[in-house]
Amino acid sequence: MQRHAVRSKASPDQNAPVVSGSGVGKTFASGTVIALEDAGFSVPKGRFNSLVGPSGCGKSTLLRLISGLIEPTSGSLQVHGEEVTKPRQDVAMMFQRATLLEWRTAIENVLLPSEIGGRVTSEDRTRAMELLKLVGLGDFAFSFPAQLSGGMQQRVALARLLQTGADVLLLDEPFGALDEFTRERLNVELLRIVTEIEATTIFVTHNIAEAIFLADEVYVMTPRPGRIAKIIDVPFDRPRELSIQTSPEFNHLVEEARDILGAH
Amino acid sequence: MAEATASLGPSASGGLYLRTRRWLTHAAIFGTLILAWEIGTRTELLDPLFYPAPSKIITSFWRIYVTQGNIWKHLYVSIGLVLAGFAAGSILGITLGSLVGLNPLVRRFIKPYVIVLEATPRIAVAPLLIAALGFGAQSKIAIIMLVCFFAPFINTLSGVVNVNEEKLELFKSLGASKMQILKKLVLPEAVPVIMAGERLALTAALSGVLVAEFIQRDQGIGALILTYTRNLNMASAFACIFTLTIIGFAIFKGMELMDRYIAFWSHEDGMTRVSQNRNVRWAKQGWAR
Ligand SMILES: Nc1ncnc2c1ncn2[C@@H]1O[C@H](COP(=O)(O)OP(=O)(O)OP(=O)(O)O)[C@@H](O)[C@H]1O
Ligand SMILES: [Mg+2]
Repeated sequence: MQRHAVRSKASPDQNAPVVSGSGVGKTFASGTVIALEDAGFSVPKGRFNSLVGPSGCGKSTLLRLISGLIEPTSGSLQVHGEEVTKPRQDVAMMFQRATLLEWRTAIENVLLPSEIGGRVTSEDRTRAMELLKLVGLGDFAFSFPAQLSGGMQQRVALARLLQTGADVLLLDEPFGALDEFTRERLNVELLRIVTEIEATTIFVTHNIAEAIFLADEVYVMTPRPGRIAKIIDVPFDRPRELSIQTSPEFNHLVEEARDILGAH
Repeated sequence: MAEATASLGPSASGGLYLRTRRWLTHAAIFGTLILAWEIGTRTELLDPLFYPAPSKIITSFWRIYVTQGNIWKHLYVSIGLVLAGFAAGSILGITLGSLVGLNPLVRRFIKPYVIVLEATPRIAVAPLLIAALGFGAQSKIAIIMLVCFFAPFINTLSGVVNVNEEKLELFKSLGASKMQILKKLVLPEAVPVIMAGERLALTAALSGVLVAEFIQRDQGIGALILTYTRNLNMASAFACIFTLTIIGFAIFKGMELMDRYIAFWSHEDGMTRVSQNRNVRWAKQGWAR
């Protein structure tokens, strides 16, 4: 907790954390698996932070804790200053797989959050259609998931995530199953969108370079027990060009993260 | 999960030439078999008493359907019973399956009973049902219900229980209520599995009605087969059996067609059709594009 107290980049008001946790721990299965231990972090409004680490280090667990799907065994978690006890309307999560409903068209899938929230209004429909266009699927609004490619399905899921209107977005390796070209394009697209809507974002990935390229801060996590080993500050200005990935500074950051992960 | 279709090799596909050739081969094989049968009985290599010649069977078909026309009333009775028993069995199976599947407490203790139920041939209970309900349509329907309730039951149960964990988390993260999860996720997701169970159930219902009519012998196709066999009118008995073949095939095709409509998203053509319909509906409502 303390190491974050010294961060102050913007005005104090903007610096108030949207998502924060201290001493957060999660133990599964009658105390045998420590999925996460003593995680402390705080994410100010509009920040894009990424979580990187090897399989099983508790990345998904941390996201599910923040989303309120599971409860921590120790420590405390806040979103907008309120203790997280159950899923909240202003927090939305996107999973590794698209998790679309096969019996609904793309547009109906995007409208699901509105339906669950109550009656679907014509504004909801307008927005859903806009979001589909935004992710480049305007012509596929009435296609079923099985008629779409993996990348397109993932984009529908992204549109659905944005349809929630949540200002805290949790993305668990959202494009991990896609080829590199598609992933890079969707990442850039995602950055543009979250910047535009000023969402606070936490993005999980296996890929160190991706984590650094996208984020303001990278949480490097290590397994057994899962913990946040280091928080790396990424100083590059936005919007970022893909070419920064070849700069010495960038590579220095990649090395730093790799050292931490390699030491475990 | 139960699956009704059997795969016996490559299906109709390929070019027109190949398809024509395949059909010609089929026709040739079929013709040869029938011819061999006919010759076999005429030369008495096959006992004509038990294996009536195909020509005789065709004559019998003509007689029971046209000149005498006596099969119709039995057909109506049997089909009516099949439909009634199937409907009752499905409703019971699907209802029980959902109730058990949705109730964690019941679910935890139900397994041994399901195993016992699965291991017991349901048809063995048929005489008991007759004893309890007496002769007549009631006990026949009960027997059919008994033989066709299991597949919908077990498939609904497994469909409801095996909800995709990730989708469930999605719904929870969206703050969905239990009722919303049931209506928008659990039930739709179980539909294809339930439909597979229904297909098995309808086939079972056809066997069920025969057993019921073999026991009660008063009317229906089963009773008719018994009568013909007892009178050593094997040609007519065969005509009845082939009638059942045709009904069985029609049931199979009918259920496949229904599946295309109800579980449309597991069929390419179904998706295309519904996709167009939804597009049209959206346009008609004048919603945003
Ligand atoms: N529901 C659960 N019950 C028991 N153990 C669990 C559960 N969920 C996660 N774990 C354990 O917690 C640890 C962290 O899991 P988690 O899914 O958070 O890892 P991860 O970092 O997301 O891995 P990956 O990159 O493979 O997705 C693992 O050892 C896992 O086995
Ligand atoms: Mg994970």
